[in-house]
Amino acid sequence: MARFLAGRLLRAFITLFLVVTFAFVVLRLSGDPAQIIMGADAPHEAVAAFRQAWGLDKSLWEQYLGYVGSIFTGDLGRSMRDGRPAAALVAERIPATLALTIPALFLKLGLGIPAGIYAALHRNSAIDRVVMLVAVAGFTIPSFVLGLLLVLVFAVQLGWLPSGGQESWRHAILPVITLGIGGAAVLARFTRSAMLEVLGQPYIRTASAKGVPWRRVVSGHAAPNAAIPTVTIIGFMFGSLIAGAVVVESVFSWPGVGRLMVVAVANRDLAVVQCVLLLVSFTMVAANFTVDLLYGLIDPRLRTGAQGGH
Amino acid sequence: MSVPLLVARGLARRYSMKRGLFGAPTAVAAVEGLDLTLDQGRTLGLVGESGCGKSTTGRMVLGMEAPDAGSIAFAGQPMPRPGSAAWRALRARMQMVFQDPLGALDRRLTIGAQVAEPLVIHGIGTRADRPERVAALLADVGLRPDHAGRYPHELSGGQRQRAVLARALATSPELLVCDEPISALDVSIQAQVMNLLTEIQARLGLTMLFISHDLRAVRQVSHRVAVMYLGRIVEEGAPDAVLHDPAHPYAQALVSAIPGQQGVRRIRLQGDPPNPADRPQGCAFHPRCPLAGPVCRQAVPELKPRPGDGRLVACHVAQGEISPPMQRAA
Amino acid sequence: MSVTTLNAAPARRSWQLPPPLVLFGLCWLALMLAVALLAPLITPYSYTALDLRNRLSAPIGMGGTMAHWLGTDELGRDVLSRLISSIRMSLTIAFGATIIGALIGTTLGLLAAWARGLVEQAVLMLVDFSASIPFLILALAVLAFFGNSLPLFICLLGLHAWERYARIARGLAISAGSQGYAAAVRQLGASPLRVYLLHILPNIASTLIVSMTLAFPEIILLESGLSFLGLGVQPPETSLGSMVGYGREYLTRAPWILLSPAIIIVFTTLSVSLIGDWLRDKLDPTLR
Repeated sequence: MARFLAGRLLRAFITLFLVVTFAFVVLRLSGDPAQIIMGADAPHEAVAAFRQAWGLDKSLWEQYLGYVGSIFTGDLGRSMRDGRPAAALVAERIPATLALTIPALFLKLGLGIPAGIYAALHRNSAIDRVVMLVAVAGFTIPSFVLGLLLVLVFAVQLGWLPSGGQESWRHAILPVITLGIGGAAVLARFTRSAMLEVLGQPYIRTASAKGVPWRRVVSGHAAPNAAIPTVTIIGFMFGSLIAGAVVVESVFSWPGVGRLMVVAVANRDLAVVQCVLLLVSFTMVAANFTVDLLYGLIDPRLRTGAQGGH
Repeated sequence: MSVPLLVARGLARRYSMKRGLFGAPTAVAAVEGLDLTLDQGRTLGLVGESGCGKSTTGRMVLGMEAPDAGSIAFAGQPMPRPGSAAWRALRARMQMVFQDPLGALDRRLTIGAQVAEPLVIHGIGTRADRPERVAALLADVGLRPDHAGRYPHELSGGQRQRAVLARALATSPELLVCDEPISALDVSIQAQVMNLLTEIQARLGLTMLFISHDLRAVRQVSHRVAVMYLGRIVEEGAPDAVLHDPAHPYAQALVSAIPGQQGVRRIRLQGDPPNPADRPQGCAFHPRCPLAGPVCRQAVPELKPRPGDGRLVACHVAQGEISPPMQRAA
Repeated sequence: MSVTTLNAAPARRSWQLPPPLVLFGLCWLALMLAVALLAPLITPYSYTALDLRNRLSAPIGMGGTMAHWLGTDELGRDVLSRLISSIRMSLTIAFGATIIGALIGTTLGLLAAWARGLVEQAVLMLVDFSASIPFLILALAVLAFFGNSLPLFICLLGLHAWERYARIARGLAISAGSQGYAAAVRQLGASPLRVYLLHILPNIASTLIVSMTLAFPEIILLESGLSFLGLGVQPPETSLGSMVGYGREYLTRAPWILLSPAIIIVFTTLSVSLIGDWLRDKLDPTLR
């Protein structure tokens, strides 16, 4: 188990290292940040002063080391537009984003998993077909279209709910529904196929042949085993608590991390973009690592590390 | 009298088996200290149970895997590194027939295209005369010309194996390695393919290494027989001698297990089946050997002529170096 | 022709009509392709042509005129014409990006299978990396760093899902190489190029094509999402997503600007998804 953990930890670190390096390399490849920020017709002295201020006049290697060092100390640079620390800018947006994504996550789990299990248990029934069709539709309707349709119906036509902003909890209803439905569709599809696979296994047939009540076969044998692959996708959803609302926040003018990211990209505010990128990668890697841990706990086969391929 | 085409000395092949991401790799010796000589125009049969290293030996003989120790010389030249240009060119002179003919054929290409492929690869003949050559090859292995247009799944198992053989013969190779060529076939078809192999070997004067776990099949095609146990050859000789009057206790047990014999008492081996990851000290066979003595647990017996009749056998008891325990066995 | 050969051959796939939803998907996709290919011929106006006297005019059926079937936008540009050119743009990007992704992924996957060792480890590390970062964020970062142009945008979207092809290609190539036909052909003396391009690639093509049909709708969604945010296709060019993005301003007064591209996006992704699922079940049930 310790060996398994060490391997996963190593992988997590490699991924983080790659992200950090990627951000650095791409930042340098994209041209001279000083010129980009100051504009092509800025006076030479101003550009030189800017370089010195940002450490752009040192060698690439020094810049890289300094860069990695500053990340470890939590210094992620300042917004090149308004001069505030990028990390602070991003941090103050996190609660707003979580206020959308956490309720949406509950909605996804509460809708998607029961729907998937129900569809699997009533395979090829009319309800199964409807659930799957709705699931495919939920997956193929882009969130901005769904969001705008909801606005059109509930805000514009019926006038029940506000169309955007963050003044009260009522403002959060439409964005949460928009986020939740898409995720629930993905989860329902996934849960259904995981359940179907488990239900086809010999031990399920054995259990029901032994006379175990079907309800217990499902809750005691099938569902726990189907949970194993489903954990991956739920982990991914946890990992995207920060990043998953980029489009929806823009639709509903919700001042979260995603909105900040979009504005920063449009303004080419590189420090902020990089800060969001790192934050998202860290949460994603942490979520993946947790999933690996859970896997190790749920599935004893994985603990020994006996995986194929080597 | 006989000229060796291929000589292998001291071959060893060890695979490292890793347990877990950081597990210490353990070496599994598939083949250990194996000597082999293939005489021009003769067939050597290699028998042994599964896992004894016969297929690994076959792949090393063909140069598809480089041995970890030892040397292989083909027609007096050392075997080139696998994948090198010299190695690829040498493929025209040595070919292989596989156990699973359906797996060995590309299911998206016609039989004709696949039989012609070695000709294309090695630049033999022109595009115009290839169809004729393919038809001749198909006829050689007992397929009809119209089979050239078929796809592998449209043929029966025996026909597929014939197609694989036709492909192997396309470049007129000198050496043919057949790795369990009949074990995936229906019993009714096995005899046909066996006959075809012997007939072609004799007609073309091929040198052949015939690998099988089926003693009767080996006896039918081979000029010489070698018995393998856990990566080593334990006995080698003329088929009649080895299969009627085996000298090595393992060969004796193997022969006694051939069904349908009269007057032969079946020797049941005791102990665990051999595990290449956990090779016993001394003679690898000693834990299951009814005749084993203390020397067998320490010294690895050499494959050498037996005093008296000169039979090649690797056994301390058969060599008369120690005497068998009193009437415990047989 | 002997009876045994006939029996040995598996029954040929009987061609029956696909289920109605898939049939609908195929028809819709054919219609979209026709529109994209014939765009310059069937478009009633240029997609940039202004008609200032007819700004925000409603489509037919909502009180509009025959001059603009689907109405006009805030500058009096014909929505139908813009829709047609958007379909062309969005499909071009999606096709281009899907093909780029398949090419990159397959090449790297086969390379990993062939070279093994360090190269393979490097490819697997990249696969892990791109599978663990949400692509939208990565794409946004790249757009911020490099700015935007159409070729760059297509290449960027091409990176979406490359790791899936890489995984599939590597896995299939390794299993073909270890025991099957690929080892046999290598044994014949074929060069690696011949083994990989003439034998392995055609054999794994159907699996790769299924993956492409599954990735295609995701790329359409990504493109439209980024364009909706104003970070994808830039004016004066127009795509389905950017039409929705600009139409959003007129959601209350002129919802038709936004609704028609939205419907096209949904129907197109739905169609390709249905076709992809159907193809997967038919050709390659092993793919999840």
